[in-house]
Amino acid sequence: MLLELNNVTRIIKSGGKKITLLDNINLTVEEGEFISLMGPSGSGKSTLLNCIGMLDNFTEGNYQFLDELVEQMKEKQRAKLYKEYIGFVFQAYHLIDELTVYENIETPLLYKNIKSSERKALVGDILDRFNIVGKKDLFPTQLSGGQQQLVGIARALIGKPKLILADEPTGNLNSKQSEEIMELFSSLNKEGVTIIQATHSESNASYGSRVVNLLDGSIVTE
Amino acid sequence: MIRNYFKIALRNLWKNRTFTGLNIVGLTAAFGVAILLAIFSVFQLSFDRFHEHKNYLYQVYSEDSFLDGIEANISKSEPFAAALQNEITGVEKITRFNGSGVLLGYQEKELRMSGAYVDPDFFDMFSFPIIKGNSKDPITAESSIAITEVAAKRIFGEENAIGKTVTILRDEKEVPFTVSAIVEDFPITSSIGFDVILNFKSQGKYAYERTIGRWDVENHNVYMKLSKGIAASQFEKSTVDFTQLHYKDEIDMAKRDGVQPNSEGNYRQIKLLPLTDISFANFNQGPVTVNRTMPYLVLGIAILILFIACVNFINMSVAKSAQRLREIGMRKTLGANKKQLFFQFWGESVLVFLISISLGALMATLLLPSFQTLFRTEASFEILLNPSLLLVLGLSVLGITLVAGGYPALLMSRLGTIQSLKGKLESNGKNRLRNSLMVVQFSIAILLISGTLVLWSQVDFMRTKDLGFNKEQVIAFPLNGKRNDQQALKLLRDALQDKTNIVSVSASNNILGLGKDGSRSTSVLGFDHKGRGVETHMLVVDVDYIKTLDLNLIKGRSFRKNLASDSLSVIINESMAKQLSEEEILTAKLDLDDKSFSIVGVIKDFNFQELDQNIAPLSLFAHPNWNLRNAYVKVTPQNLEQAYNDVKAAWNSIEPNAEFQGSFLNENIDRTLRNERTMITMIGSGSILAIMLSCIGLFAMSMLIVSQRRKEIGVRKIVGASVSAITVLLTKDFLKLVVIAFLIATPIAWYAMNKWLQNYVYRIDLELWMFLIAGGISLLIAMLTIAGKTIGAATSNPVNSLRSE
Repeated sequence: MLLELNNVTRIIKSGGKKITLLDNINLTVEEGEFISLMGPSGSGKSTLLNCIGMLDNFTEGNYQFLDELVEQMKEKQRAKLYKEYIGFVFQAYHLIDELTVYENIETPLLYKNIKSSERKALVGDILDRFNIVGKKDLFPTQLSGGQQQLVGIARALIGKPKLILADEPTGNLNSKQSEEIMELFSSLNKEGVTIIQATHSESNASYGSRVVNLLDGSIVTE
Repeated sequence: MIRNYFKIALRNLWKNRTFTGLNIVGLTAAFGVAILLAIFSVFQLSFDRFHEHKNYLYQVYSEDSFLDGIEANISKSEPFAAALQNEITGVEKITRFNGSGVLLGYQEKELRMSGAYVDPDFFDMFSFPIIKGNSKDPITAESSIAITEVAAKRIFGEENAIGKTVTILRDEKEVPFTVSAIVEDFPITSSIGFDVILNFKSQGKYAYERTIGRWDVENHNVYMKLSKGIAASQFEKSTVDFTQLHYKDEIDMAKRDGVQPNSEGNYRQIKLLPLTDISFANFNQGPVTVNRTMPYLVLGIAILILFIACVNFINMSVAKSAQRLREIGMRKTLGANKKQLFFQFWGESVLVFLISISLGALMATLLLPSFQTLFRTEASFEILLNPSLLLVLGLSVLGITLVAGGYPALLMSRLGTIQSLKGKLESNGKNRLRNSLMVVQFSIAILLISGTLVLWSQVDFMRTKDLGFNKEQVIAFPLNGKRNDQQALKLLRDALQDKTNIVSVSASNNILGLGKDGSRSTSVLGFDHKGRGVETHMLVVDVDYIKTLDLNLIKGRSFRKNLASDSLSVIINESMAKQLSEEEILTAKLDLDDKSFSIVGVIKDFNFQELDQNIAPLSLFAHPNWNLRNAYVKVTPQNLEQAYNDVKAAWNSIEPNAEFQGSFLNENIDRTLRNERTMITMIGSGSILAIMLSCIGLFAMSMLIVSQRRKEIGVRKIVGASVSAITVLLTKDFLKLVVIAFLIATPIAWYAMNKWLQNYVYRIDLELWMFLIAGGISLLIAMLTIAGKTIGAATSNPVNSLRSE
């Protein structure tokens, strides 16, 4: 078991009113799964992903990641945990505009204090694997959307995470590019990487091993 | 990692090059000027600090009570120093000191030098090391003279000076002295200055021999070294019996006249002024006040300017951080912690600061020579080459970068991950900080501008005030030649007699204003008049003095052409007449020194001293054959330059070896206002820089705000807002800040300037317009600064601005 959510809830206050973003969710994710979170806008897909990724917190309930209780951890431990095990892919790619493709991919390794020679090898490998060696000195704005997302995924994978969290990874891409990205996810999954993606698209969901439907912050069907 | 930061910092700075440029320009200017100002103020503050025993060295003076209050008196009598040392414990060393210009001769050379007559203890007290010759007792012998390296070079060139004989003009005779020692050149930050040093007893008859054993002739200064373990105040207290013994007559007279004693009940109190306070002391207004306002004010301006530039930096960094939110968020999800982010952003600031400081230092180096001329200072970078000072400088630079660069960095590193990834900033509170900082900036600018205006008005007032004498047409110059003064004057009169552009020639023993030679003196005479002590300034004048200076004779007559026949006559000014309070002033007589002087005339009060003092009682004497020192020549108002050249030519023909140091009296008056002028230039340039830097900040802010409000502007235009309405909308917020700044700055400026003006007896009244102009200037400049951006935004096509969403 990779992670387990027990009756987790997230409630925020906005303008004096309480808004329930996630309501009593129970979910168990095993290693090697490829889960698609589906649901209309505002159903809580992104919130759930962010909370699983420890960028946000659940306000109630238990969250166990690799048999450790996340809410009892200190900020530092949590950061260490997700640095080690989790990679993020975003709809808007979120590459750093001032860095080249190579440097963008290298950044997570810098924060992990990995030695220069090792970094070079790791980044070189992944550039090779994604077939973007020729683009390594370009800046993000010089790439197409699909290519940018490819770099985004490469960056998420560089730290060899157990879990990839992808929030609408193809939302800004055309169907051909989407297909390529999903093929990539699918092959990564086969190599053993656990993937949770939030998506609107049935066809994207079909790449996954399991679909979770959300509505108004609750799981409606699995 | 560092390389990565460095790279991204450079790329970011380049991407925002407008802002980087504005920041670097602003910070460079601020650092450059701050460095110069700091040099100036450190220079001032380091005066007299090079003496090894500085903590034990004092100038001895006394505070004497008179009918109109306490006066500080630094002049002492011949027996004073020795008596003080003998009768009071605590005097380790003591020296008398009389500085005067000397005419030094060597072979064919004839040089004007500044001389100091001192007692042998002098060299044991002060750190004026002797590098050659007799270092033990260089001036103990009355025939020896010690000279500085510079003076040695002037007199002897490369020759060995020790043992050579030079002559000093004394009592109209050339007296030989043997050079016994060479004194190492001392720092310019010394309030005691000299070219040559002689024994105190080597002075002329009038200055020394006449005064031996007399307590009533006070003509020199006294410095002493206090024994360790005795506090100055303790020493001062222990002198009460000493003064009561030696100044018994003066004290009895003061009691008789009903003078108020000081708070301890003493009529005379000997006081010690620390050597390091001397260059900041004011002896002119009652008790001595030590005032270091000027250097601290300058330092304050430097800090204010740096502050303004740093505010710009903070405001711009915070505002620009909104554009980097996504980067911050992304870095956080990639595993960056707060500390790493802080150091990244702080590093970027440090980079900007390092560039600015280097450029600023370069700028200061390039500007230093003009700075030195402008402010008549010899302050240079060497003054900063002192380990503790360098440490302070380094720490303050670090502090500035830590605050100015660290605050935005801290703000950015603390943002929540999700929030920053969404690219939204909760922007309440932060604007309040920005607005308050901008208000402070403009308050400083307005404060400095109004300060400049008030200072300028006061100086203009002092310059143009009718001082009661003719300052436009009178040339004054020191009689600095070899001939005796009467002879020189006679020759001068003869030479100028036929010139049509010369009205009259006269002389007196004191100067009005401050001449080119920079020397002046005060003689005060105290005597009994009808059982009451009176005090008067004393001026010995030549024929035609009143006519030459256009003084206003109200009663009686002027001195006769035959001066000898008036040697027992005196002409007094109105305040003297008031002090004497005689019913028929012209029949009154003044009894002094066994002689009786009759008052033959009364002149209208004129400002023979500076404008920070009331016009004191003054008496003009007509002693023939007196040392007159300064010539006055009144010329016709047409072609003043020609007249000046004529006088100069005449003097050069009479005294070919003497330098002509003449200047018109209004220039002399200007010279006395040097401090005020320096202050005007400092505060004035400070205020220009302050307003410029504030406007750089304002410009950057208007740029950012306009770009942030593009959408709002577009929507407003679509629903029908006019160009002017939008311009007003955008401008209003900024101008509000300037108005608030005006309201804050004006009372502070009013208070400060009012306090400063109290220093002057003759002063302008503060008027609201001075402050309104300062506010108006700031408002106008601010408006012009933001006009371009706001009007541009208001006239742009709303379709463009809305498309960006």
